[in-house]
Amino acid sequence: MSNKMPLEGIRVADFSWVGAGPITTRFLSEYGAEVIKIETKSKPEILRLTGPFKDGIPGIERSGYFSNRNPNKKSISLNMKSPKARDVAARLIEKSDLVINNFRPGVMERWNLGYEDVKLIKPDIIFVTMSMQGSTGPHSSYMGFGATLNALVGFNHLSGFPDREPFGTGTNYSDHVAVPTHTVFAILAALRYRKKTGKGQFIEVPQSEAAICMKPLAVMDYAVNGREQMRMGNRHPDAAPHGVYRTLGEKRWIGIAVYNDGEWESLKNVMGNPQWAQEPKFASKEGRLANQDQLDSMIENWTCGQNGKELMEKLAANGVRAGMLLDAKDILEDPQMQARGHWVYLDHPEVGVSAYSGSPVHMSKTPAQFKMPAPMLGQHTEEVMKEVLKMNDQEFKNLEAEQVFI
Amino acid sequence: MELQTSSLADVRVLELAGEVGSYAGKLFADLGADVIHIEPPEGDPTRMSQPFYKDVPSTEGSLQYQHLNTSKRGMVLDITTSEGKEIFLKLVKTADILIENEPPGYLDQLGLGYSQLSSINPKLVHVAITPFGQDGPYKDYPQSDLVCMAMGGFLYLAGKDEDKPSRVYGDQAYMMGSLYAAMGSIIALYHAEATGEGQFVDVSMQECVSTALENAVQYYDLEGIIRRSLVGAEAGYGTYPCQDGYAFVMAAMGKNRYLWDPFIDWLIEEKVEDAEILKGNDWLDPAYRKKEASIQTFKRIVEPFLLKNNKMFLYEESQRRKCCVFPVSSPKDVYENPQLQYRHFFKTLYHEALGGEIHYTGAPYEIDGIKWELSATAPVFGQHTRGILQDLEYTPEQIKSLEKEGVVVVK
Repeated sequence: MSNKMPLEGIRVADFSWVGAGPITTRFLSEYGAEVIKIETKSKPEILRLTGPFKDGIPGIERSGYFSNRNPNKKSISLNMKSPKARDVAARLIEKSDLVINNFRPGVMERWNLGYEDVKLIKPDIIFVTMSMQGSTGPHSSYMGFGATLNALVGFNHLSGFPDREPFGTGTNYSDHVAVPTHTVFAILAALRYRKKTGKGQFIEVPQSEAAICMKPLAVMDYAVNGREQMRMGNRHPDAAPHGVYRTLGEKRWIGIAVYNDGEWESLKNVMGNPQWAQEPKFASKEGRLANQDQLDSMIENWTCGQNGKELMEKLAANGVRAGMLLDAKDILEDPQMQARGHWVYLDHPEVGVSAYSGSPVHMSKTPAQFKMPAPMLGQHTEEVMKEVLKMNDQEFKNLEAEQVFI
Repeated sequence: MELQTSSLADVRVLELAGEVGSYAGKLFADLGADVIHIEPPEGDPTRMSQPFYKDVPSTEGSLQYQHLNTSKRGMVLDITTSEGKEIFLKLVKTADILIENEPPGYLDQLGLGYSQLSSINPKLVHVAITPFGQDGPYKDYPQSDLVCMAMGGFLYLAGKDEDKPSRVYGDQAYMMGSLYAAMGSIIALYHAEATGEGQFVDVSMQECVSTALENAVQYYDLEGIIRRSLVGAEAGYGTYPCQDGYAFVMAAMGKNRYLWDPFIDWLIEEKVEDAEILKGNDWLDPAYRKKEASIQTFKRIVEPFLLKNNKMFLYEESQRRKCCVFPVSSPKDVYENPQLQYRHFFKTLYHEALGGEIHYTGAPYEIDGIKWELSATAPVFGQHTRGILQDLEYTPEQIKSLEKEGVVVVK
């Protein structure tokens, strides 16, 4: 184990909110960065107001949606509408290595905290902005959300059953992994560059463009071959059977993927080599791809009366790629996830002990750290003002009286 | 813009990767790192992946392979042979990062596991991406993207109510594994450069996928509720048909009226029949919007209007009116999107072996002073084997004999 975390000594002035921004700074915090989240009690961010809530009772300190994205962080309440707040923010930026926001273009500038302003405060700052669609172009000022972005970049059209309307992923997918991991990568490239040259950087991550990088093949196929790919349910262009099949119980399914003849033989063996599966039309991959409707319905006839977990274990033991569709309860209790020590339980003053995602990146010497639960709104205002900004008690009280910290 | 330089030109990454992991190497390569994509003699399996350039299957024509391996050097090396191992170890000595997706224990069996590699290069960051991680009861389970999406809890969310879920396009478990690996690699590299201390980075795709469950885990943990997709579960939030396909309408948002009001006012202005009905305060209550009758009423009133208009008009006009109707873009729509076109997001490179241009996605980020570039098309099978061996001071005779023995393939 190392005695120093990779990002120790890096301080982040975090103006970001809701989705992709907070997830980005969460990742930085796991590897040692000190993240100071700038919020305001006068208008708590929307995730603090969005469920789930501890015991179903709403409250700005009770949202699990908010908490899972914000462990390890300090929260200060700073009302940017107050005339003196900008100066406080500037002093924080002066002590920071990184400034990050995911507002629409122009918001930071309105506070005189755009990159050009911030560079004057801290010349080697790394300034990160995560706009929806970039800061240039005819749609740069468009508002949007994770859900609408996924429609815009093509996930919805391509995901779902072909005979039904476009579906998507059922989540605001691009917020969760695509945008934050790309952003961290860019930040580290800039940190490394700063270490070598002493220079800061302006980083822009257009969320639409980072999301398209996750699924470019259909667009490349159109550009090169003129083909418009279509959603195909759970099927795969190059594997059959490849599907999701009902198993015993309500809303219980198993995914099975057969890529080659050897795996098909194994699946047939596990099925007990039924007559139908011996038909010559299923013997080759081409034949199986051409007869998927029948294949899928016969397989589902076989799976639907069986326990999913036992079936998965039997298939896996025989070399067939298969996985149960775990729901949230299953995955919290999943023996593999538990053996990996994935889930982290943190104790919060109002929520008590609750489950947070751990890191899927297990580092042998500097494992991700989870030292604090999500902060209460403004919990660290005084601490940050006095310890980081070196305010004396009188100054802090004066600003407090002037409603700067609401 | 200041003069851009390469931030990672002094970084060498070795890659034993295919569909899983190659995107991690691409992020390094496009920022200027020397990424060596090492393939076995039978080739990176991604080379067989559809679709192909001009629909002609060939070793170089897979668009997936082309996309994942821009700006890299390529080497064909059989690391299961004793000479192949020796070459690999010589390369490891020169490398900062190794990214691989071999089954747990496989490289150890070959004598090329982390303990061996770190003994010759203590600064090495060794990143292993596997379906379930290096340990645990499922570590050796056979995998596919579908299996990881199922076991990561993501697939369950992809349906509403009792509906059978459908898989998201484009092997996203592999993509998530690759992205987390990229992030872990560069953080561990930063650490290794500061401290001289390399490490082993163990990435589980099941765990990667499980970080994309939005608030589903917390819903169960805090409220005992198992949730699925919310899209279409209430009036004013979901997919509706329009003149040339589908539009995604986001008018409903909790108890907020700021997206709802301008949308309904627009309908009224367009004299949409019964639009006034949607003006009632009931509609600002999520519970009311979730009733089946409300969903149907909204649909009945709104659909005729949407069907008269195309998705780009609806999108642009809704933004002008400060409400939110987005296009459900097809691949063609994405390619022709005016914003992406204006920003020159898509790039083209001429591929010599294929004799034509391939279109790629552009940069996922812009870093002011740091150059992002597709500096070369994906390596042709064995393209850089010779050069890399020469750098390791192999003579032409030695290279010839390695080639003859099947240890390497030289283009």
